[in-house]
Amino acid sequence: MPNYQTNMLRFLLTGSLTFLTILVFAQEKVTLNGYIKDVDNGEELIGVTIYIPQLKAGTITNDYGFYALTVPKGTYEVQFSYIGYKVQTFTIDLSANVSRNIQLQSEAEQMAEIVITERALDENVVNVQMSKNTVNMEQVRKLPALFGEVDIIKNIQMLPGVISAGEGTSAFFVRGGSGDQNLILIDEAPVYDPSHLFGLFSVFNADVIKDSEIYKGGIPSRFGGRLSSILDVRTKDGNNKDFAVTGGIGTMASRVAVEGPIVQEKSSFIVSARRSYLDLFLRAANEDFLVHFYDVNAKLNFKPNNRNRFFVAFYTGRDVFSFGDDFGFGWGNMTGTFRWNHLFNDKLFMNTSVIASNFDYKLESKDVSQGFEWISNLQEFSVKNDLSFAINPKNELAFGYHVTGRRFAPGEVGPNAGGSIFKEAKFQHMYAVDHALYVSNQQQVSDRITVDYGVRLSIFQNVGNGDVYLYEDPHDNIRKKRTDTLHFDSWETIKAYVNLEPRFGMRYAIDQQQSVKLSYNRMVQNTHLMSAGTVPVPFNTWNPSNYYLKPQIADQVAAGYFRNFRQNMYEFSVEGYYKDFDNVTDFADNAELFFNEDISTEYRQGDSWAYGLELMVNKQKGKLTGMLSYTWSKTERKIDGVNLGRTFDANHDRRNVVNLQAAYDLNDKWTFGGAFTYSTGRPITMASGKWEYGSYNPDVITERNTHRLDAFHRIDLSVTLNPRKNLSRKWKGQWVFGVYNAYSRKNPFTVYTRTKQDDEGNVIGDGREKEARMIYLFPVLPSVTYNFKF
Amino acid sequence: MKNILIVSLIAITFLSCEEPYQLDEELNDGQKMVIEALLTDREEMQFVKVSQTSPFYSSGNSPRIPNATVTVSDNLGNAFSYTHNPGGSDDSIGVYLPPAGFVGVIGRTYKLQVEYDDVVYEAEDQLLPVTPVDSLTIELDEEEQEDPEDAGRFYEVLIFAEEPQDEENFYLFKFYRNDSLSFANDSDIYYSDDKLLAEQIDGIPMPVYFGVSDKAKVEAYSLSRAGYVFYNDLWSLLNNDSGGMFGPIPATPRTNLSNKALGFFQVSAVSMADIIVE
Repeated sequence: MPNYQTNMLRFLLTGSLTFLTILVFAQEKVTLNGYIKDVDNGEELIGVTIYIPQLKAGTITNDYGFYALTVPKGTYEVQFSYIGYKVQTFTIDLSANVSRNIQLQSEAEQMAEIVITERALDENVVNVQMSKNTVNMEQVRKLPALFGEVDIIKNIQMLPGVISAGEGTSAFFVRGGSGDQNLILIDEAPVYDPSHLFGLFSVFNADVIKDSEIYKGGIPSRFGGRLSSILDVRTKDGNNKDFAVTGGIGTMASRVAVEGPIVQEKSSFIVSARRSYLDLFLRAANEDFLVHFYDVNAKLNFKPNNRNRFFVAFYTGRDVFSFGDDFGFGWGNMTGTFRWNHLFNDKLFMNTSVIASNFDYKLESKDVSQGFEWISNLQEFSVKNDLSFAINPKNELAFGYHVTGRRFAPGEVGPNAGGSIFKEAKFQHMYAVDHALYVSNQQQVSDRITVDYGVRLSIFQNVGNGDVYLYEDPHDNIRKKRTDTLHFDSWETIKAYVNLEPRFGMRYAIDQQQSVKLSYNRMVQNTHLMSAGTVPVPFNTWNPSNYYLKPQIADQVAAGYFRNFRQNMYEFSVEGYYKDFDNVTDFADNAELFFNEDISTEYRQGDSWAYGLELMVNKQKGKLTGMLSYTWSKTERKIDGVNLGRTFDANHDRRNVVNLQAAYDLNDKWTFGGAFTYSTGRPITMASGKWEYGSYNPDVITERNTHRLDAFHRIDLSVTLNPRKNLSRKWKGQWVFGVYNAYSRKNPFTVYTRTKQDDEGNVIGDGREKEARMIYLFPVLPSVTYNFKF
Repeated sequence: MKNILIVSLIAITFLSCEEPYQLDEELNDGQKMVIEALLTDREEMQFVKVSQTSPFYSSGNSPRIPNATVTVSDNLGNAFSYTHNPGGSDDSIGVYLPPAGFVGVIGRTYKLQVEYDDVVYEAEDQLLPVTPVDSLTIELDEEEQEDPEDAGRFYEVLIFAEEPQDEENFYLFKFYRNDSLSFANDSDIYYSDDKLLAEQIDGIPMPVYFGVSDKAKVEAYSLSRAGYVFYNDLWSLLNNDSGGMFGPIPATPRTNLSNKALGFFQVSAVSMADIIVE
């Protein structure tokens, strides 16, 4: 589309002209910068607001706790404010460049003390970024959790615009996106499957999480690779002042974390581990079926001086299932991140990361005649260079370069005993190289208007070595008739896709308490999950964009109104979005995605569109805190070769969702938490009759997703007890009592049909009669957890 | 796979429950044609059954069609007309049989035509050779003996065969205990491709246990790729977790029949073996 290109060119030209203008005027200014930390444990704080009321200028700390603000020379009052912390104001003489590290005091430690707050600038209203939610760990800990196991993914699923597939899964769906369209990062490293026990829990151990943010729209240029959201989880750096041990004993799992300084104030570490002990119960109950999972997180950081900081972070986690001696399977993620923050000068900040990630799963049968071992994995290695340049108080430039290499090994199978009926077989590996360059500028156009504009260029290559099969008809998945094979050598490009992803955000401040925001983003996704189900499972493999599979593209526009009341006590927002997907990846009806060398004949790509409205009220201060949200949304798909080419409701389409979360701090001893969730039922494809074939009675299936399960709703409650003797002791204990599904609602997990049977599974009736059965996972479920810290 | 998932998830939560669920009857949307046809290289193993779909909650057999016109022709131009229920038995209403003595010939392609209500339903399939079942042996299963599900039945019958590695084969198996078709689970279908099969198939157990003096029988059918696809789809439909929670959304099995008829025209060579447990 030439018109689009012209617009793009104009956009880029205007952008660079603006930068030039800025650079010319930049010389008369001075810069204030530094890191902001928690006074108690030295953790760097992300998203702290730095504000100079005289100039009406401000900024926030970046993901590394660093800020830089360029202003005209002078002496200013500078405010540092952060949710959950006391506001601090300093008078700073800025006749030259100044570096100032600030330590903020958490409010939580002195609950009784009245916090004097000058009007803090509030991120919700002031920041250009919209469609972003931060999960506050302090708050999450006060809320009820399934089996008492605090889980950020379960909290993410409660946010407006985010949908869960039901209970007991870690999959989430953002603004009409499918389950594989979320980029889940732990310390910048991607996690390909965030589930433990098929999603009952997530891989994120709440004890080591410092901060987690989800971007649902207006996604910054530094992120790419997935269409619908970025879930950015950061782990703690470790206390660099004192040694501390925290931990907990729960119904399902126990965890412990050790942190402390290596060199006082310069270097610290944190190591944590969590393991479930469900297998111990199962073993005690003499069950053949055993299962456990574990997580280990470790992080080391070293800050030789204010200009250089180094971090090494590591995560590994695994699930292990076994059924007697015969059959077992497992999966796990392993990630490593090395990060270097460097300050070139007062204005230019750089973060370089080297990241590795591995996901694998294994299936194994030890049967004498049918023994086999199946292994599949996906490896990723990337280098990222991100720079931010505080040009002047009105402009902040961000730019960078990311390169990623991926190797997909979909499966390798072989016999694991001499007499096995299986032979060795191996899928060919797939390789991809992905370059991304981006630049963006946040510019304060006037007192009221701030814009953030940028562009990301993604250059994706599917490379050899590998074979591409050509087919008589590439969509014929019955005969799969190959006509030729194209061979590609190592690093030879099989297919390349270049995409330009414009990003734009704007905030118009109506006054100090209310603003209107707009955003647009284009996202491109070149990794595709091979799953025809709703909920991704660890046994699904991924394919890169390739000879047959085109990149998925999503364009989203969003607009919102943001208002804070009562000195930012209440945050209110309403956001509407429209999202258009091209080449969204789906699969033919009856697709065979497991061990299929001709999997490309199952690919079907087409259109999807989603729109919705999200309302949210958030109360972040006071004894009663919480969030109430309502989302109305619709998501549809139309794909040739799927559902006879007819439009259908996407699996994750939900019309109405209401979520309420609240915590009440009665006093320093007791805290009460509660959560309510309601959502329209999941679309489901149901039988519209039956037919006979031999002794079988299959269902008649007409169209996809024309039926709805019953609505889902549930209340959870919790009480946290902090014994008063904690105050005088180093050992601080805490009891958390919870009730999940307080009124024992039977929420349908799924519905299936079968030939009529009795409870023992014997066919009853005339052998032709059928019945439908509903499975629900959790009735009312109490839990107790004991947490400690010393 | 999805079975494992659901079973594991249920086992993990160990609290999950099931209960009957009432489907929406309004979803019934008229009757469709169902054709189940088998043509083999053995006498007596030939039939075409013509029926229709029925409402989900109905009982008894689905409606049978006794007044269709059924013919089969091969690629050499021979045509055979089928007769409706020549034995006149009540069980066989809607079942059509070929002229006496008819058998399929390996290598030929057969075409089925069913005409009913002025609509012609057609299908084509090829008769491919089948790998013979070499032998059966009997083995006592001690674990099953301790706690047999079916009193006195704790013998496994093991199958031996040689899988030709230089050709692509698809198989369907049927197992009989005392001549009655048997399954471990009523929705099981025993079918396979040979992608992962080694040459020596040594001792795969039949899915059910046998007692002393029981007769065990296996029938191995050759399938075309289309037949494999049909049985694979049928299995997925019968064992679906409904609605595509983890697995794919249920869909109509792909068939070689035209005009949106349900079912399949299966053309197979059959090998069989039996043994009496002693």
